[in-house]
Amino acid sequence: MLLQLNNIFKWVNSGGQRIFLLKDINLEVHEGEFISIMGPSGSGKSTLLNVIGMLDDFDEGEYDFLHESVHTLKEKHRANLYKEYIGFVFQSYHLLDDLTVKENLEMPLLYKKYKGSERKAMVADMLDRFNIVGKKDLFPAQLSGGQQQLVGVARALISNPKLILADEPTGNLNSQQSEEIMELFKKLNQEGVTIIQVTHSEKNAAYGSRIVSLLDGRKV
Amino acid sequence: MFKNNLKIAWRNLIKNKVISSINILGLALGIASCLIIMLFVVDELSYDQYNEKADDIVNVVFRAKINGEEIKEGAIMAPVGETLIQEFPEVLDATRIKNIGTTKIIIDNQSYRKNRFAFVDANFFNVFTLPVIDGDSKYSLQEPNTAVITKSKAEKFFGEENAIGKVFYLEGQEQPFRVTGVIEEVPQNSHFHFDIFASLEGLDEAKSTSWFGGNFFTYLVLKKGSNYKDLESKLSQLPEKYMGPMMQETMGVSFDDFTKENELGFRIFPLTDIHLYSDNSSHSQLEQGGDIKYVYIFSAIAIFMLLIACINFMNISTATATKRAKEVGIRKVLGSNKSQLRYQFLSESFIASLMAMIFAAILVFISLPFYNRMSGKELQLDFLLQPTVLILLLFLTLLISLLAGGYPAFFLSSFNPIGALKNKYLGGNNNRGVRSGLVIFQFVISAGLILATLTVNQQMQYIQNKDIGYERDQLLVLRDANLLGNNRDTFKNELLKNPKVASITNSASIPAGSTDNYMSQVYIDGEFSRRMPVFNIDENYIPTMGMVLTSGRNFSKEFGADSTNVIINQTAAKVLGFGANALGEIVTDGGGDHTVVGVVKDFHFKSLHQTIDPLFLFYRPFGGLIVKAKSADMSGLIADATILWNGFNTDETFAYTLLDESYRQTHLAEHKMGNLLNLFALLTIFVACLGLFGLVTFTAEQRFKEIGIRKVLGSSVLEIITMLSKDFLKLVFISFFIAFPIGYYLMKNWLESFAYRIEMHLGLFGLAALVTLLIAFATIGWKSFRAATMNPVKALRDE
Repeated sequence: MLLQLNNIFKWVNSGGQRIFLLKDINLEVHEGEFISIMGPSGSGKSTLLNVIGMLDDFDEGEYDFLHESVHTLKEKHRANLYKEYIGFVFQSYHLLDDLTVKENLEMPLLYKKYKGSERKAMVADMLDRFNIVGKKDLFPAQLSGGQQQLVGVARALISNPKLILADEPTGNLNSQQSEEIMELFKKLNQEGVTIIQVTHSEKNAAYGSRIVSLLDGRKV
Repeated sequence: MFKNNLKIAWRNLIKNKVISSINILGLALGIASCLIIMLFVVDELSYDQYNEKADDIVNVVFRAKINGEEIKEGAIMAPVGETLIQEFPEVLDATRIKNIGTTKIIIDNQSYRKNRFAFVDANFFNVFTLPVIDGDSKYSLQEPNTAVITKSKAEKFFGEENAIGKVFYLEGQEQPFRVTGVIEEVPQNSHFHFDIFASLEGLDEAKSTSWFGGNFFTYLVLKKGSNYKDLESKLSQLPEKYMGPMMQETMGVSFDDFTKENELGFRIFPLTDIHLYSDNSSHSQLEQGGDIKYVYIFSAIAIFMLLIACINFMNISTATATKRAKEVGIRKVLGSNKSQLRYQFLSESFIASLMAMIFAAILVFISLPFYNRMSGKELQLDFLLQPTVLILLLFLTLLISLLAGGYPAFFLSSFNPIGALKNKYLGGNNNRGVRSGLVIFQFVISAGLILATLTVNQQMQYIQNKDIGYERDQLLVLRDANLLGNNRDTFKNELLKNPKVASITNSASIPAGSTDNYMSQVYIDGEFSRRMPVFNIDENYIPTMGMVLTSGRNFSKEFGADSTNVIINQTAAKVLGFGANALGEIVTDGGGDHTVVGVVKDFHFKSLHQTIDPLFLFYRPFGGLIVKAKSADMSGLIADATILWNGFNTDETFAYTLLDESYRQTHLAEHKMGNLLNLFALLTIFVACLGLFGLVTFTAEQRFKEIGIRKVLGSSVLEIITMLSKDFLKLVFISFFIAFPIGYYLMKNWLESFAYRIEMHLGLFGLAALVTLLIAFATIGWKSFRAATMNPVKALRDE
C-alpha cells in the first residue's frame, strides 16, 4: 500500500459558518494504480490532490504515506517526504520562464543535491526518453503547449518519484496533444509509476484503472 | 548551486531592465556619493595625523574679553612655551612658529615671489615630523640665519645643484640666510604650509620676556598619557602670575581690578583638533581651518544617501517580489526549502549590489576631479585602494545586499506554495505598511534637505545683496601698487586720465580680502578703553568706496592738520560713549591725540558672521590703490592698467583683485558648503525619486486590471491619475510634519553662526513643501498618466 486516507475533513470558516471542502474522505492507493479523480467544479478535486501531495493541510483525519503518519509530521519532514516520493504535473505547466528546457529539468536535482555529472546524465537521459533533445536550449515561451507539458511531465519524473500527481494535465491542451500526454501517462503507469490525476474528461479518465468521484467535497 | 543562482539572478536583471537599472543606478549613486563624502570626511579628520607625536602635541592659544571685545589669538607671547616647560613637568618640550606670510626671496639678483615664510625654533623638526631629504634637519636651525626649505623650492632656487650651504636674501634684509636642510613638501593635510622655515635664533623678538602681546604660535609636547585638560585648568594661574606685574607697571591697574570686568586666559587645543575645532580670529591663525559642523553634516548626508538607496532597493524588490510569487511556488513544490530560496534571493541582491559598487567606483573615479574643483579639496583616490578599505568596501557590499535583499528574501521564502501558485500574493498589500514607512523616511530626508538647501541659498543671497555700507561693484584693487615706489603717484595720475576711471584712492585698508588693517590701543581721558581696528585712508577713500558720512566731514587736503584727526564709525561712537554728538571729541592711541571730525555710517569689513567692530579711519595715505570704474566693463580697465603698469619698466608683475570677488571669497566656506549641499541634496532627491518612480511603476502594473475595470465603468483619466497619485502624495505630505521641525531646529542653529541673517519664515517652509510635492508629482504623474490612458480591453482580456 502506497497511501491511505482515513476520515479526512477540511474546512474553512466563513462568516461564522464552516464550509467543508473535504468531508469524510477515505481512500486507499496501492502501488501501480492509475486513479482519476472526477467531479464538477468546486467539488474538491484539486484540494484532495493537494492534500495527497502534502502541499495543503487538512483539519481532521489520518493520512499514512508509506507507513508514515503524515498528520503527525512536522512541516519540514513532510516536505522531505513529498520531495523524495512525489512528482507534480500542473494544468498550466508551471515551468520557470527564465530557464531553458534543460535547466528546468535540472532544477529539482539541484535541490536534491545531485552532483553536476550525475545531473547532466539524468537530464540527458530524460531528454532522450521524451524525444526533446533538440529543444533543450529553448525557453518555455518558444514551445507549444503540448511540448511544455511534456517538459512538465519529464521534470516531475526526473527524480524517480513513486507517485505522480497531475492536476488537469491536459486542461490547456488540444485533443491531439491531450491524447499524447495520456498515452505517455499510460506507458509510465505500465512501467510501474503510480499516478493520480484530476480530470474533467471521461475520455482521459478511461486511461486510468479506477475513478474516484467527488461532489461537494464528499466521495460518491 | 551558486552558478545556477548567478544565472537566474542575471536573467532576472536583464528581464526587468527598467526596474533593474533604477535599482542599480540608484544604489550606485548612493554608494558613490557616500564614498566621495567619506573621502572628504576622512581627509578632514586626518589633519596633522602624519606627525609621529600627533597625540602628544598641543597648541596653546590666548583668549580674552576686554571692554566688551572678544579676543581670540592663536599667536601668543614669546615666553609662554619656555615658562610652561619650567612650571609643569608634563610639558616636555615647546616650539614656536612666527608666521611672516608670503615673501620675496632674492638670489643672485634674481627675485622669487610667493614664498611662504616662517621663523621657527631650532627644535621645530624634533616636534613636527617632516621628512628630511638632505642635511640634518634635527640640528639645522641651531644657528641664526639658517633655513630649511622644501624640495620644490630648492629645485626652483638652485636647480640641479645641492641646495645645502647656498644662501638667499629676504627682501629688505641685509643678512643672508644659509640653507642647512631640505625637506619634502609639508603634507596637504597639515594646518600649516610653509616653503621656508628660518631659524628664530638671533631674533630679539624671540627672546622677549613680555607677556603683553606677541606673535608666536606655540606648541607643546606633553608627556605620554597626560591629559591636556588637566594642564589647561592649571594654566588659569598664569595671567595673574606673569601679566599682573606688567599690568600694574604699564597700565596702573592691579590685576584684580582689571579682571573684575575683563577676562584673560589660555586654552589648549590638541594638535589634531586645530583644523576642525580652532576658533582663532581670522587674523591670528596660520590657515583657514575646516569646521567640525560640516564634517557632521556631510557624514549625516552620506549615511542618509546610502540608506535611501538601500530603501529603494528594498522597496522595489519587495514590491516586484510578488511578481515572482509563482516562481517561489514552483520552486517550493519542486523541492526547494526556505534557506535555498533565501540564498537565491540574497545572491541576486548581492550581484546587484556588486554591480552598483563597481559602477559607483567608476563614478567616483570620474567625478573626483569635478568634486575637488567644487569643494576646493585635493582628495586622492589612493585612499580607496588600500587593502583595508577594499575589504571594507566588500564588506559594505555584503551589508548592503543583506540590508536591501534581506527583507524580500525572508518575505518571499515564507510564501505558501499553493497560495503562490494560485497568485494569491499578487495583491502585494501584505507589506504596504512597511513600504509606506520607508517612503515617508525617504521623503523626510528629501524634504529636509530641500529646506536646508533653500535656507542656505537664501542666506547666501542675503549676503550677496545685503547693503554692506559701501558699493563693492566696479572696484579694482591694486594692492601691490606700492611696488612701483616713487612712480606710484605718476601711475595713479596717468590712470586717472583714463576715461574708464571714475576715481582712485590710495589706501591699503580694504574692507574685504587681504588688507593692512591693524589693531590700535585706544585711550580716552588717559584711560584704556579697548583695542580697535584702524584703516589708513586718503581723502578720496570714502567717496570712492561709496561710503556715507552720517555727521561731520571727510578728510581733505585743504585742512593741513587732518593727519591728527580721525573719522570713526557709528559703532565706535556708541562703544566710546559719544552718543549722537561725537564731533570734536578727543581720543588717544599710540600716535597721540586725535579729534573726531566725522562719523561714517557702519560698513562691514569682516564676514557677516561677525558684528561690525568699532573702527578708526586715519588720514595716512599709503599702500596700494583702489580704482572705481565708470562702467561694469572691468576687463577693459584691467587691460589699460596693465599696459600702463608695464610702461613703468618694472620687473614686478601687475596684480589685481576685484573687491566684489574678495567679498564673495570672505564667505567662501559657506559658498562651497552651499554648492556641495545643492549637489548632494539634488542627488539624494534624485535617488529618492527613482525609488518612487519604481514603486509607482509597480503599482500601476499591479492595479492594471483594476484600472481597466474602472475605465470600462466610466472613470475619467483624471480620476485614475488622482487614484494612483493620491496614496504617494499623502505619504510625502506626512513626511513634512517630521522633516520641517527637525530642519527648522538644525538650520536655525546654522544661521545663528551669522551675526546678520535671514529669518526662517513660513514662506520658506511653504516653498520647500511645494518644491518637494512638485518633484514627487512629476515623478508619479507620467506613469499614472500612461496607466490611465491605456486601452482597458488589454487589461480585461482573460489570461
